[in-house]
Amino acid sequence: MSDQNGTDRTRPHAGASAEGPARRDVLKRIAAVAGTAPLAPALIAASAPTQAAAQPAAPAPAATPPESGYQSLGPDEAAFVEALVNVMCPADHLSPSGVDCGLAVFIDRQLAGGFGQGERLYMQGPWRKGKPQLGYQLPLTPEQFFKAGIAAANAGCKARHGKPFFALAPADADAFLKEIAAGKVTDPRVPLGLWFNELVYPLFTQACFADPIYGGNRDKVFWRMVGYPGLPATHRNDMVQFRGKPFPGAKDPKSIADFS
Amino acid sequence: MATTLAKKTVVIVGGGLTAALVARQLTAKGTDVLVLERGHDRRNGPESTLPNQRDELRWDIHGGLGQDWAVETYTVRHAVKDEALPARRLGAFLPGTGLGGAASHWNGFTWRWSEYDPVLRTRFESRYGKQAIPADLLIQDWGVTYAEMEPHHHLFEKLYGISGKAGNINGVIQAGGNPFEAPRRDDYPQPPLEPTEAGLIFKAACEKLGHKPFIAPSGNSSGAYTNPDGMRLAPCQYCGHCEKFICEAQAKATPETLLYPVLMERPNFEIRLRCHVVGIDYDRQGKRATGVRYVDLVTGEEYEQPADVVALCAFTMTNTRLLLMTGIGEPYDPATGAGVVGRNFCYQTNAAANVFVKDRWINPFLASGSTGVTIDEFNNDNFDHAGLGFLGGAGISANLTNGRPIGNRRVPPGTAQWGTQWKQANAEWYAHSFALQAQGTSYPHRENYLSLDPTWRDAYGQPLLRLTFDWRDNDVKMSEYCSQKINEIAKAMDATVVAPATARKSPFDTRIYQSTHTTGGTPMGADPKTSVVSQHLQHWDAENLFVVGASVFPHNAGYNPTGVLAALALRLGDDLTGYVERPRRL
Repeated sequence: MSDQNGTDRTRPHAGASAEGPARRDVLKRIAAVAGTAPLAPALIAASAPTQAAAQPAAPAPAATPPESGYQSLGPDEAAFVEALVNVMCPADHLSPSGVDCGLAVFIDRQLAGGFGQGERLYMQGPWRKGKPQLGYQLPLTPEQFFKAGIAAANAGCKARHGKPFFALAPADADAFLKEIAAGKVTDPRVPLGLWFNELVYPLFTQACFADPIYGGNRDKVFWRMVGYPGLPATHRNDMVQFRGKPFPGAKDPKSIADFS
Repeated sequence: MATTLAKKTVVIVGGGLTAALVARQLTAKGTDVLVLERGHDRRNGPESTLPNQRDELRWDIHGGLGQDWAVETYTVRHAVKDEALPARRLGAFLPGTGLGGAASHWNGFTWRWSEYDPVLRTRFESRYGKQAIPADLLIQDWGVTYAEMEPHHHLFEKLYGISGKAGNINGVIQAGGNPFEAPRRDDYPQPPLEPTEAGLIFKAACEKLGHKPFIAPSGNSSGAYTNPDGMRLAPCQYCGHCEKFICEAQAKATPETLLYPVLMERPNFEIRLRCHVVGIDYDRQGKRATGVRYVDLVTGEEYEQPADVVALCAFTMTNTRLLLMTGIGEPYDPATGAGVVGRNFCYQTNAAANVFVKDRWINPFLASGSTGVTIDEFNNDNFDHAGLGFLGGAGISANLTNGRPIGNRRVPPGTAQWGTQWKQANAEWYAHSFALQAQGTSYPHRENYLSLDPTWRDAYGQPLLRLTFDWRDNDVKMSEYCSQKINEIAKAMDATVVAPATARKSPFDTRIYQSTHTTGGTPMGADPKTSVVSQHLQHWDAENLFVVGASVFPHNAGYNPTGVLAALALRLGDDLTGYVERPRRL
């Protein structure tokens, strides 16, 4: 039977209160690295945006996240994604920031992997426009679409705020994402509402709630937050014993890595 | 150039549930059978073993077990006047691939349909008059009766060790079962599954309203079970990874757990995996199928497989597509109503409400695939439709099948979509919410049908199948009625918050999963003008070609299709045993 009806897969809508995201943007980090370590000259040369170079070097993060380095995202793209996940998942009493939860790493790995490259996606032409209910109809792989969207969103952001998305104050960034979700930021070629609601937003929720082997949901933080116990899920006895009662395993979730 | 192979007696297209049941009956009586299946055997892979079996992203969100849309998808349009577009990543339903087909990753709901379903036209006309069925609804009798199907339902439920509580044994209504159930000869092979907390809340609300809730019959095994073939099921673990997943506990009745292992021991049975059938060889003058053509997906070589009998046992869409591509039978034309192949395509008309109960621990992760508590009061023709302006209805249930956190979290309406408030709402409500669902009828409409797409092709260069489908007037009115019923039940629950059900409305959305129950396209019947195959599932234009699966259903009921298509497959297996001995029109 249908079990997917009415779950949290609805379109984004207005109403969130902007929380201050603890943002760590990648350009500042690269600038910091550039000042101290000559290990990645190609990376620095490739990025080296003058704006970032002109900024004073931020202090390096105290603790390096377990997963660092991106496979798909370039520095500008990474700055966008890090800002995005830190706005959508601010550090608060419920979790660390989106970056510290691994959400940017998750998105990067998905874009670099089968999903981003168009696995299981019918990619034969011709390419025509249709009703939204007929689904995605662009000739771009998800990775290409994601990046085209970043460029278009940044262009829209510069037109409105005079700076790229990563440089917005948290409240402005939050409001800007809501405008994108509502289809109010338009681009002549890239459908930004569709881009956000059908690609970015699903990736964000997957990053939060997928098994941590994919790089997000670091330390099972989201599973612990909602009380999803994870594996092994052999609940034959629990089914009766904990029906209608708090389930103890929900406080200490286990993931694939714990059984590997 | 295709290589021609040695002839087989019966060749079956597709290695799912119906193929296994047909082959079981045939091989037991000495007939040799070859099954061609495009996918592979996943019984020892990461799909079916811990810990990777519990990977929601891989198997559910990315649809890792289903048909690969990059290879073959469908095009969709809502009306004949529209241009269809390919569903580039179809979300709405999940055709299978691999040993066991879609039946390897089902949820387990196993129904016998209403006693009157196979004679639905007769039923409506006798109850509501000759004019009761609108002219654009192609409701028709199946040419078979429930009484003829009952022995096959009985055998299937024994083979699958179905867990449930009978509601009607030989006409005597049984307390605790479904009082609307078609009469059965005995109780289910196993007692029902444990209900969820959500099921208990639903049950109490329904009883308050005077309805008769019951635990839905299920192919998730409530205990340890050995079937008549000596194959075993272990008890269900209520792991919440059932539909879209392969059971690692051998607790879900599936073809590859219970049927294929037996067949593979029989010397007259052969299955070739990773073999994709691209066409049926058809002798147009002699009106006979002479075999099938397939591509070996390991070597890329093409083969011609001659056979005395060809049986199409693939998914609904594939059975229809093969007939259309091969040009066997006249394609249905919605403008004139002439032709048959592709007609009576139906789906399922669902609706759902979300219920939030602050002081109850729902624990959605404690669930089997089909731990549903259901009522049948508003399903099918179980209630009087006089004056309602529609036909059909829906089973209404609290079917909490899982708490997988990417796809099955619920937050109250008005919650922010991200940020602290969103996280807070997820933390507050994940363990305290569930859905009420209506799974409704879908009656054949003149303009809902299957045909070949003129533009887009699959990876083998063959035309994609085109769906022309939408929720039509009867569906929408039925859905409005059943949504009200859901909301009345939700109201009787003393919930903290209810996000009420709203009716299914046009246009059909290909992006959102609702059920894999697509039916029709090769309907069965007694009249060759309105059916593709006869009452015995024998093609009207090729005596030695047979079709079975939900593709032969002339309509879809407010039930899951497995029980009925399995009974039809066992019946076909018996019919074919006789046919092979003495080929003739059955």
